[in-house]
Amino acid sequence: MSLQPFFVMATFTAPERLATDPQSMLWMLPLVAAIAVIYKATKMPAITTALFFKETAILFGSIVVFIIVTALVLFALVWLMAL
Amino acid sequence: MPLLSKENHLISLFVVGLLGWLLPGAGHFILKEKKRAVIIFVTITLTFCAGLYIGSIGVIDPVGATPWYVYAAQIISSPIVLGLGHISAGGGFPVYGWPNEIGQIYTSTAGLLNLLCVINALYLAHLRATEVTGA
Repeated sequence: MSLQPFFVMATFTAPERLATDPQSMLWMLPLVAAIAVIYKATKMPAITTALFFKETAILFGSIVVFIIVTALVLFALVWLMAL
Repeated sequence: MPLLSKENHLISLFVVGLLGWLLPGAGHFILKEKKRAVIIFVTITLTFCAGLYIGSIGVIDPVGATPWYVYAAQIISSPIVLGLGHISAGGGFPVYGWPNEIGQIYTSTAGLLNLLCVINALYLAHLRATEVTGA
C-alpha cells in the first residue's frame, strides 16, 4: 500500500512557515480570485467559457485595483498626518 | 391542493439548501446547473483546502482562541468542519500568528462563499417553482 496519501494528509496537520513581509500581502490574490469566480458563477445568466473567464478577470482586476487605490489613499493620509 | 404544493415547495427548498451545505455546488447540481455546480465545488473546495494547508487543521478550533463567528463561517462551508473541529478540539494542532490568520481567513471565506451559493440555489429553486405553478 502506498504511503503517498498519508504524506499528503500529514501536510494538513502542521502549519506552513509564512514570513510577515510585504510580499505576504500577495496571499490576498487567490482569495480575490475565488471571490470573483464564485460571484460571477452565481450572477451570470448563462455560462460560456470565454465570457466567464473575461467577466471573472475584469472583476478580479477591479477588486485588486480598488484595494491598491485604498492602500495608497490610506498611506497618503498617514504620511500627511505624520508631517 | 395548494397547501400540499406549498408544502412540497418548502421541502424542495429545504433539500436544495441542505445539499448545497453538505457538498458545495450540490444545490445547483440538483437544479441541473452542472457548469455552475462544478465551478462552485472546485473553487470552494480549493479555497477551503488552501486554508487548511496554510494553517493546518488547527485553524478550525471550536473551543480555543478562534472567535465564534470564524468557526460559524467555517461550518457553513461543509459539515466536515464539525468533524475536523472535533479532532482539533483537544489542542493537538497548535497554530499561531500569520499562518493561523491566513488559514482562518481562507476557510471562513470559503464558508461565506458557500452561503452565497446556497442562497443563490434557493433563489433559483424558488423562481423555477413559481414559474411552473404560475404563482
